[in-house]
Amino acid sequence: MPTIIALDVSLSMSRSVLLPDSTEEYQRRHIAIHGINTFLDYLSANYKLEFVSLIAFSYLYEQLSTFTRDYSIIRTALTKVEAFSKTCIESALKGIKDVTSEEWSNTSCQVILITDGSLGVGVGSLKHSLETMNARKSVEEKFPLPFPFPCKLHIVCIANPNDPDVRSALPYYQKLINVGNQGGEIFLLDGAISFKSVEETFNRLAEKYYNPYCGTLLCGNFNCAVQLFPKPEPFIKQSNDEKVTYGVSDKIEIIGFLEIKDVGSPPTVARHLILPRSTKEKSDTKDKDAKNGKSEEEDDSQDDGKTPSFTVLLHGSLRVESMVAIARVCNDWYGMIYSWADSKKKSNLMLALFDPGQDSVPWLGPFDNLTSWKEYSADDEEKKSPFPVRPADKRSYAQSCVVWIKPSGLQSDIQKVLRHARKLPDKLHQFYKELNRTRRAALSFGFHSLLEALATMLDRECTLLPGSAHPNAALQLTHAANFLRSEQAFDEKQNVVPLLTNFASSSN
Amino acid sequence: MASSITHKTVFILDRSPFFAQSCNQPIEYDTLKSKGSGVIPAAPIYKSLWTCNVEGVQEYLRIVFDIYPKDRHFRVVSGRTSLNPWNCPDTITTLNMRLAQVGPPLKSKKDDSEYSVFHGLSSAIDCLREPTQEQQDMLDNGDIVRNRGRIIYLTVLKNDMQVNHLEEYILEALQHNKMSSSSDLLPIDECELVLVHTVPVGHDIRITEKPCRELNSCVKFEVTSSHSGRHLYNKLVYLCCKHFDLCSTTVTGIPMKEEQNASSSANYDVELLHPATAHDELFKNEHAEGLVIKSKEGLPIDTTPLKWCTPKSNVIELHQCSAAYRICPVDVNSRPSSCLTNFLISGRAVMLEQPRKSGAKVISHMLAAHGGEIFIHSLPTSRSILEDPPSISEGCGGRVTDYRITAFGEFMKENRLAPTKASLLESYGNRKPYLYAIDHLEKSSRCWPMVISETILFNLQNLSQLPQLLVQETLTEEQLLECTKLIYKVLEMEQKNDPLPIPATGSRGKGPKRDELYRQLWSELETLVRSYSDTSEKHNKVLECLLNCKKPSDEKVIVTRKTPSKKEDKSGGGAGGLTEAEQSWKELDRYQQMSTREKMEASQGEKTQDAPPPKKLKAEELLMRSGGQTLLTMWNNRLKTIHQKRSHEFDARLDSPGDKAKLYIHLDENSSEQSNVNTANVAKKQPVM
Repeated sequence: MPTIIALDVSLSMSRSVLLPDSTEEYQRRHIAIHGINTFLDYLSANYKLEFVSLIAFSYLYEQLSTFTRDYSIIRTALTKVEAFSKTCIESALKGIKDVTSEEWSNTSCQVILITDGSLGVGVGSLKHSLETMNARKSVEEKFPLPFPFPCKLHIVCIANPNDPDVRSALPYYQKLINVGNQGGEIFLLDGAISFKSVEETFNRLAEKYYNPYCGTLLCGNFNCAVQLFPKPEPFIKQSNDEKVTYGVSDKIEIIGFLEIKDVGSPPTVARHLILPRSTKEKSDTKDKDAKNGKSEEEDDSQDDGKTPSFTVLLHGSLRVESMVAIARVCNDWYGMIYSWADSKKKSNLMLALFDPGQDSVPWLGPFDNLTSWKEYSADDEEKKSPFPVRPADKRSYAQSCVVWIKPSGLQSDIQKVLRHARKLPDKLHQFYKELNRTRRAALSFGFHSLLEALATMLDRECTLLPGSAHPNAALQLTHAANFLRSEQAFDEKQNVVPLLTNFASSSN
Repeated sequence: MASSITHKTVFILDRSPFFAQSCNQPIEYDTLKSKGSGVIPAAPIYKSLWTCNVEGVQEYLRIVFDIYPKDRHFRVVSGRTSLNPWNCPDTITTLNMRLAQVGPPLKSKKDDSEYSVFHGLSSAIDCLREPTQEQQDMLDNGDIVRNRGRIIYLTVLKNDMQVNHLEEYILEALQHNKMSSSSDLLPIDECELVLVHTVPVGHDIRITEKPCRELNSCVKFEVTSSHSGRHLYNKLVYLCCKHFDLCSTTVTGIPMKEEQNASSSANYDVELLHPATAHDELFKNEHAEGLVIKSKEGLPIDTTPLKWCTPKSNVIELHQCSAAYRICPVDVNSRPSSCLTNFLISGRAVMLEQPRKSGAKVISHMLAAHGGEIFIHSLPTSRSILEDPPSISEGCGGRVTDYRITAFGEFMKENRLAPTKASLLESYGNRKPYLYAIDHLEKSSRCWPMVISETILFNLQNLSQLPQLLVQETLTEEQLLECTKLIYKVLEMEQKNDPLPIPATGSRGKGPKRDELYRQLWSELETLVRSYSDTSEKHNKVLECLLNCKKPSDEKVIVTRKTPSKKEDKSGGGAGGLTEAEQSWKELDRYQQMSTREKMEASQGEKTQDAPPPKKLKAEELLMRSGGQTLLTMWNNRLKTIHQKRSHEFDARLDSPGDKAKLYIHLDENSSEQSNVNTANVAKKQPVM
């Protein structure tokens, strides 16, 4: 879930702030930057794999850092931020939309917009933007919200929460979040502007929206504390009259295993890395840190590496055997765990979640109905894979259906009859089979004139028979043509049957 | 699904004499043209309007059933007759049979009123009021059913006045049906009526089309018109795509051998229909322009051309894909179509590439068949936030190198999943089948060390049968015998002082002494057998046998090492005892650390002595904890061990001067002997080489 930090660098952010216990002069911008650094500290400690991009905006916007996991790039960029003209939130949103859709397409994102409670003035002010939002004509002028990708919009206001400007700005911010329609929250400082209050605010945001998922991976008696990245979001399934929300529970329970060829690239709605968590208590580590400093921490991470973890065992075997594990994440929601490699070198354990519900992978059948293979192979078909689950009926392309929309369809069916007719009496059965098939279709379509046409064709075939032809051929052709012209031909229950002759069909 | 408007569709076929006339579109059916002179080719044939209608409906149904084989239901009515019920097992076959019985309309006008458009509409409304099986099931469950449906009327309209009459009629009819609520019929909550006006090719249409609009909250109304023949088919496919939100993809550049000349090959295109959402990502991109072209099959819809990529290998990979939908070939019986579908059904997957002017290769879809059904898979093309993931070796447990990977592979194979057959489902009753799979997992993971250095038992090839036997639900007499034989084997090995596979403990010291290892083996054995002892009486007998074979001096190890692990096994099995299980893990860790320390002490060889006699307290603890036995058997076992202790003194001690006995007196001799043999071997081999 990439994050875009949008920092207001308008002149109003350069207003100085009086800090009680400091003699140095600070601007709001500095306070905001301190907040961003706090946020980045939190990410490096708890949410390492998050991609973050930094945008600075005033009347225009500039992407100061592309999406990166190397937060030092962002920290460096922050030190170089300068002050520019007036606040224009719309241009920031436009910038966010552009950089994000180009890079991530349909991935869900979070925006942290940092401003100071001033809405801007005149054209380009938030007030003006929201008023004219619905009156935009051309596509280029279209208001950037709602974003074309799922995105939460958080607004952090670096200002005294009791400031009358901030009070009047809040409804506009809320409206912005509502127009975005994907959730988000306004974060105000808790008390007057200070390094401490801004730290607290950013930590509050981070803990609420960037708290890592912590759960347990279960497989029989094996269990392993794991983290998922990105953190799983609730999945909302909208049907006609109701909305059902599914959430990944804190227990990911493996129910069994399947071979990759059986699971057959099933569609998945989300993917998460499964990272084992250190089994040691966090507080322990902190205590030790306090006592022994850095060397102990290093030791710890080495110890973690040397304590066997179920995830590593599972990963290794899945990879070697080309198998996947099927896991249940909550009622009616399943996923598969497999070894995944981005590049060829580094591979890791991945959980891919299927569409919630029982039948989202038709060739596996309902998930709740998966059972131990031992139970299945009570009879002696042990060797054969029980997958895919085959539907009771065949699709049109897997059976011989009759379609005469194009003349070529009709022609090829007639040709089949005639091809066998020319090889009578050898192809006696095939001839009558094809003839009946064509005739039945003609009856279903109410295409009665075709029967006469077929009879004519058979008559002509009869006259074209070479002198060397078997006498039975002519008899059968005449018999079939006569049947097609009779009353019985219109009775769908009747079939044309071969004429009984004295020639044994098998003799040459 | 049962309350979607696409759940129920009723087609009305107008069987008035008007439809007996020709559609005015000639069809060449004589294929003999090329043959020598003297044969006059047959004149082209004409389909009737009725035939065109029937064919069009068939195609509409074929498309929907190919893409949505479940949950979408159709009925066809003509006049007052309904040709099939809801949830008909094989709708198309049933309809074909019934249509053959009904036959085309007659040209003579006998009784016009029988074919009145209102009759058809009224029977269609009756059909919609009947619940489908899915709706009936919901009703039986006490759920609220929103009854929605669509009526498609293939007819001929006299003038716009008649359209207005029909509009009034449907409004009134639905108003009426709401008032009369009968017990087995449902009221209609939403209905869409589509009138398809059709005339022979070349005739004037004379009816104003009306786009779909809401007459009131529950009625939508649309009038559309078409010439018959191929035009009507196009119209119906267009409607089908609109009604079921389908779109078209043309697979381009499929290399195919020529029918006549097998040595040359040419490229063909095949057009497929599928749910429009398969192209969601394609059109979300800003640069989506130029991605669609006009349908190559002449349908009034756009199609997305995607280039065929010849599959290179037969290896089945796990592709990441965001969606998969069934497809339906537009021209199902054409040679290119059937070549493509047969190729896919045979098990090959085909990647599809987006045409990009920039020349970048973007593979956005994959065609693959599963269980005889072909699916189009959408593959994500944009950047993933999971790119450049950390390697598994960087995380917890990543630096351990001796995981039992192969053994866990076997474990996974033993725990493969299978779909539940209907017969099995019945025997399961109310318990969900997946729970049986979980049971099986629990059972086979009761005693399962993760790394090679943690175990001796699982490294012994000749004992590998024991866990396999024990995991079974029941043991036969022979299997029981087999188990006991395996236990005796350990006894024999110990007596012979056979070497054991030493767990790699790193570079520290020489590793533990052999009797230490045997003690560990025995205790591992006990943990294993004990964890299955409550499965059956015979399983318990295996445990008894083991306990009888064990040396009393092993007791200490049992107490220190295995009691907590046993506890862990039990609590870990239950779903609720997670915290308890965690606790036991910690406990186990502590105990394991303790025993490694002991091992290390022993390995340093500073104190070569027998383990101290078990403390009384601990021995009692063992008695208290050794579950699954009666007090009497425990007491008997205890007495037995004491007797054994008394009757059989350690042999080495008898020979030694003091209380202490030197262990492995022959060890040095053996090793020197062995190295001698080795060098001898090498010496022997050398000349040959």
